[in-house]
Order: sequence, then C-alpha cells, then structure tokens
Amino acid sequence: MWIQLGSCALVAAAVLAGADIHGTIVIDRKLSRHNVTASVGMYQRGVAVELGADGETDPLAFERSHVAVYLEGGPKSTATEFPKASIEQKDRRFAPDLVVIPAGSTVSFPNFDPIFHNVFSLSKAKSFDLGNYPEGQSRLVTFPVPGVVAVYCHLHSNMAASIVVAPSRWAVRVDKDGIFSLKDVPAGTYTVVAWHKTAGTFRKTLTIGERDAAVSFTLPYAEPTDAGHVAHR
Amino acid sequence: MRFATRTFLSSFIPFAVLLAISFWAIRASVMETVRDGLRASVRDNQVALAREQSRNEGRNRKLLEGIGENPSLKAGLQLLAAEGSATGQARNTVQDQLSEICDSLSFDFMMVSGVHGEPLAAVVRYAEGFAPVNLTRLHPPEQGFFSTDGRLYEVTSVPIHEADTQVATLTMGGRFDISRFGVPAVLLQKGTVIATQMRDLAPAQIESALASCPAAADCEFRLAGQQYLSLPLGRTAASGSDGYSLRSLQNVDAASAPLQIILRKLFLVSGFIALAAMLGISALSSRSIAQPLVDVVTHLRLSAATGELPEFPESRGGAQEIRDLTQGFNNAARAVRESRERLTRAYVQFVGSLAQALDARDAYTAGHSRRVSEYSCAIAKAMNLADNDLEIIRVGALLHDLGKIGISDLVLQKPGRLTPEENELIRQHPVIGKRILENVQGLEAYLGIVELHHENLNGTGYPHGLKGEETPLYARIVKVADAYDAMTSDRPYRRGKSHAEALAVLRSVSGSEMDPTVVEAFALLGDQRKQPAFAGTQSLRSLSEAVQSEIGTAALEVVTHEREAS
Repeated sequence: MWIQLGSCALVAAAVLAGADIHGTIVIDRKLSRHNVTASVGMYQRGVAVELGADGETDPLAFERSHVAVYLEGGPKSTATEFPKASIEQKDRRFAPDLVVIPAGSTVSFPNFDPIFHNVFSLSKAKSFDLGNYPEGQSRLVTFPVPGVVAVYCHLHSNMAASIVVAPSRWAVRVDKDGIFSLKDVPAGTYTVVAWHKTAGTFRKTLTIGERDAAVSFTLPYAEPTDAGHVAHR
Repeated sequence: MRFATRTFLSSFIPFAVLLAISFWAIRASVMETVRDGLRASVRDNQVALAREQSRNEGRNRKLLEGIGENPSLKAGLQLLAAEGSATGQARNTVQDQLSEICDSLSFDFMMVSGVHGEPLAAVVRYAEGFAPVNLTRLHPPEQGFFSTDGRLYEVTSVPIHEADTQVATLTMGGRFDISRFGVPAVLLQKGTVIATQMRDLAPAQIESALASCPAAADCEFRLAGQQYLSLPLGRTAASGSDGYSLRSLQNVDAASAPLQIILRKLFLVSGFIALAAMLGISALSSRSIAQPLVDVVTHLRLSAATGELPEFPESRGGAQEIRDLTQGFNNAARAVRESRERLTRAYVQFVGSLAQALDARDAYTAGHSRRVSEYSCAIAKAMNLADNDLEIIRVGALLHDLGKIGISDLVLQKPGRLTPEENELIRQHPVIGKRILENVQGLEAYLGIVELHHENLNGTGYPHGLKGEETPLYARIVKVADAYDAMTSDRPYRRGKSHAEALAVLRSVSGSEMDPTVVEAFALLGDQRKQPAFAGTQSLRSLSEAVQSEIGTAALEVVTHEREAS
C-alpha cells in the first residue's frame, strides 16, 4: 500500500514537472584519514598505501564523491520506483562503499571473493547479519527506515560500507567534482541535507518554485546540524 | 778482560736477565688478569643478553597473546568449525586472514591449530606474497625452531580463547636468520650445526667442542687455539623435543685481542726503555767503579816508567777503598822517597866530609874547593848555562880535587919542586877521585869534572890527554877556575899572584891549555874575590845548596844543622 501511494505521487510529480536543484559540494581539505590496501590479488597483499595513491589521485575528489545529498520535508514524495543497489564483496572490500537509496529500497550483497564473508550491521535504521556465505552467493536486504546504515564484515574488520537511506526519492551521491542535481523537484520548501561519514550532516532550507534552484555546501565549515533521524556512528 | 768491561758485564747481565724475567712474568700475569677480566665481562654480557632476550620473548608473548584475541580470526575459526575443515573456501578465508595478520605484523609463518594440536590452516611468506602450507607435513613445536621446505623458522604459540576456553592455538614466527642475530651464535639440532655465525670455524669443530657442554649451562673451551665461551640462549628448553639448541659462541681471545696487542706493545716498549736505561746505568756505574782504579793503575804505570813516585792528589770523593789505596801508595812512596833522600843525604854528607877533610889537610889549600866552585859558577852563569848545568858545575867543582885524598901528605904538602915520580903521583888524583865517586849512585854527573879537570885543550893534559871539545865544558870551566885559584892563593913557598897577573897567565895559555871562551868569560867577570857575597862561610852553604837542588829542603836543614853543630 505504501508503495502504491508512492507511485501515485510520482505520477503527480511527473505531471507537475517540478524544477531541478543543482548544487555543488566544496571540500578544501582531507576529511578522512584511512589506509587503503592495494587489491592486487588474493594473497598478494601489498604494503599499506596512503589514500590517493591507488588511482585516486585527488584526495579531495575522493572526499567529494563520498558525500550523499538528499531532500527532507516538502510535499510527500516517497519513492515508488527503486533503483537497483548492490554492494559487492570483492578483493576483501565493499564495492561501492557508499550507497544512497530512497527508503524502502533493497540492496544486494553478492560475494565475488573466493573466500567467505559475513556482512552485518548494527545500525539503528537497520540491523542485520547475513551470516557466512561463500563466493557466488548473494543476500538481499531492504531498508524501509531512513537513516545511515554502517555495514561491516565479521571476518574482515577492515571492510566497511555506508548506506544512506533517504526519506525522499531525491537522493544522490555527489560525483567526484562535487556536483549533484536533484531532478523534478515539485515547488515547496525543502531542507537539503548533505552527509559525509566523518564531517557529519549539513542542512540548508530551500524553497523551490518554477525555476531551477542552486545550492552549495562547504564542508566541513558549515555548522553541522542534528539530522534527528540520522544515526551517527 | 778489562776491569771496566767486567764490572759492566757483571752489573748489566744479571740485571738485564732479572729485568727480562720480571717483565715477562708481569706481562704474563697482567695478560692473564686482563683476559680473565674480559672473559668475566664477556660472560656477563652474554648472560645479560640471554636474559634480555628471554625478557623480550616474554614481552613479545604478551603482545602476541593480543593477536589471539583478534575477533575476525575468531569469526574465521567459527566459520571453519561451522563449515568443516574440508571446505576449501572456509580454509581459504582463514588463510587469508592469517596472511593479512602476518603481513601487518611482519611474520613469515602463521598457523592455527585445534585444541588437540591438529593444524587447521597455515601460511608462509614467499618472495611475492603468502602461500598456504601443506598441513599434513607440518608439525611445528609450540615454541622453538622448526624447518619446512628447507626453511628454518623460529616460532612461538599463543592460545585463542573463547569464553575462557581455549578453542585453538595460534603459532607464528619469523624465518630464523642467524646472521642477523645480535650476538655471535650457533644453532644446533641434535648436536649438528644447522646455522652458525662463525664462518671461519668448521661446523665439525664446533660440534665436537660443544658436545661436552651441558645443554642448559654455559661452558668454556678451546677451539682452534682460541678460548671460546658459549651460553645457551633463550628458547633452548622449549625446543628440546626437536633437539634444537641455540647457543652463543663468543671468542674470548678475540675480544681481548686489541687490549692484548696494546699491552704487548706497552710492555715491549717499556722493556726496551728499561733495558736501555739499564745499559746506561751499568755503563755509568762500571765507569764510576773502574775509573778510579784505572786512574790509580795509570798513575802506577807512569811511576814505574819514570821511576819517580809522585803522590796521588788528595781526593775527597771516590770510594773509601780507593782512598785507602792511594793513601797507602802515598805513604809507601813517601817512605821510599824519604829513605832515598836519607841515602842521598848520607852520600852527600860523606862526600861533603871528604871535601872538608881534603881542604883541612892543608891550611894553604883551605877553601880551595869552595872558591873553585864559586868561580866556576860565576863563569857558567856568565856563559848563560842552564840552572841544571850550574848545579852540576857547583857540586862537581866542590869535589874536583877529591882524588887528592889518595895522595900522600908528603907529596901533597911538600914545599918546593916535586920529583917526576911525585908529580906522577899528583897527576893520579883525577882518576882516584873518579874511582872514589863512580861507585856512588847519584854522583855520576860530577865524574866528568873530577876526572877531566886537568885535560888541556891541545891534548897535553892528564889523565887521558883529551883534545878540545873532547873534554866536557864543565871540566874546561872548572880547569880555568882551579888554575886561577891556585895562582891567586898564597903558598908556603910564594905569595899568590894578583888578579891581573893570574888573568894574564890564563890568557897566555888560553887556546893551548885553557878554553879561550871560558877564559874570556872569566876575564869579563872581574875580580871575584871582591864580591861581597864571597865570604868564608860560603863553602858549606854552597855545598848545601847544591845538595838541596838534588834532594830538597830536608837535606839542607840537616847539613846546615850539622855545620852549626860542628
């Protein structure tokens, strides 16, 4: 029933043909400090390398691409169509390590490693434990409650991923240039939320009319605000 | 061998030998002490190292026990238990975990085994990464050494607990590279050398040397001529089952070698210095001992050569014995000289008595000898003769008519002309005088005057009829003085001639009988009898002075006293 309501809203929005929100995320310093291991092979673990050394030449680009943006408030506009989301276990890492989905979406966790993984989460928005499963198997998890879900592996303590479950269907992951756009947003007053794992949650209130709107966040200088429903680690 | 050489050798050789022996002994004892000290310090070092090593092991163990608490690994073990060890992927998962831990902690080997010791999963490091190990052939000890695939590992084990219950054992370690071991060490398995840092020692040598060492105690032994110290290091006790034992192997001699070299140099240098000093001291002391004796000997040799007996100068320094010796010699020499003087004095007294007796026989000739002596001396002085000649002339002139003793008073004192026989008797007196004196030692110098004072220049004189220069100058001088005094003296049968008359007569025979040079010298002197010094008492004094020149002041005093007494 909830899903049907969502699809009705979607149809209404399409008729209304709302405006787009274009935004930029500006990050001028490294926010995360973590080592990534070069995934060369199963048993060929190279030396620990600093972030940015493994193809990610720009550490700020890495930071920008790890920001999730979504809208809060405004007219009810829950998603009726859900994008396919998947977090793979490959080379002893979660790929991708950040997924932004509207509430109610389902994420699959396929194992592409020749070893067991045991994916689990203890987050308030959704806690689960998928148990040990070997290569080739997959598990599905649905996330009905908005919030941030931190995903780990029992067998590999260095594996971690974040799933941002947005309360609306306008939820995107920012690209590496810090640019995002939220399409077809109906007129109304919204709160634009930007989330970064280590920087926190940032909010800006925005009233959308007929025309496209622009919004910009500078992380981490904007005063972080309490998202209320977002579970912090 | 000379005395100086002997004293030098006898002082130097024993000291040199003693010095060498004592240096050698001291050096040996110092070396021994140093080596003992070093050995003790090396032992202390080794013990401290071994203790430090076992303490480190304990500390490491605590750290390693933390690895056993790794939740991921525990999850992996649960997976393994759930899936069963037959499942390849479950084991792969755990091996992957082990590889990861190994990588991050720089281990070369890691293994999990079940509670009963059965291996569950194990990985080793290769050049390019980690690889699983065939578990069937793997039996590492809980702690100690083991080798697999020709590689030697040193491992230790920690338990993996789950709710206070040990569920597995984690064994981990690194490849054992003895060359990177902090102390010189050797690893043995059942008495066989597996690895050694002592590359210059043959393993067989080490094995045989260590065979007698107790497993858990330190021991010392000689190996290839060097002293070695060996201590068990750490893990020996735990690795007993496989027979591995790790021992330190320290060359004590090599450790003390630099010091020994320094000491040897020091001793060598100081020994040479001491020897050189000894040489110098010996030379000096032998010189100081021998030199006075050499001086004495030189002095005695000189005395022997010259016949004189000079006294040694009074020396304050020097040895008492040398002083006694020189003093003894001086005393003896003085005694000899005194006796010689006494002898000479006796001769002179005797001769003086003869002259006095001669003069006393005839009142008219009284003082003749004395006057002739005076005149002769005056002439000799005028002719610039040396003092020595003067003395000979003075005494010789005093004695010149000594031979007249042997001529009868009848002839000698006969007034008037003498018969040819009597004349012949008179002419004997020079020879008689010579004969009297020639046997008296010390009066040889006067014989010429006594014998030849009647020789004429033209060879008409007696006793030998010598010509010109054949007659000594002394005799020629005395002849002129004798003739002059004879002419100027009063005689019973005539008065004496005046100085001028006498001089005229002398001049008339000058060149034929008399030496013209002497006559002219006498003529130039003038009348000697008018000289104030020409007093009657001069005779004996002149004789005394003559004697004095011969025998010194002592004789003069004696003679003078005697004259005064008479």
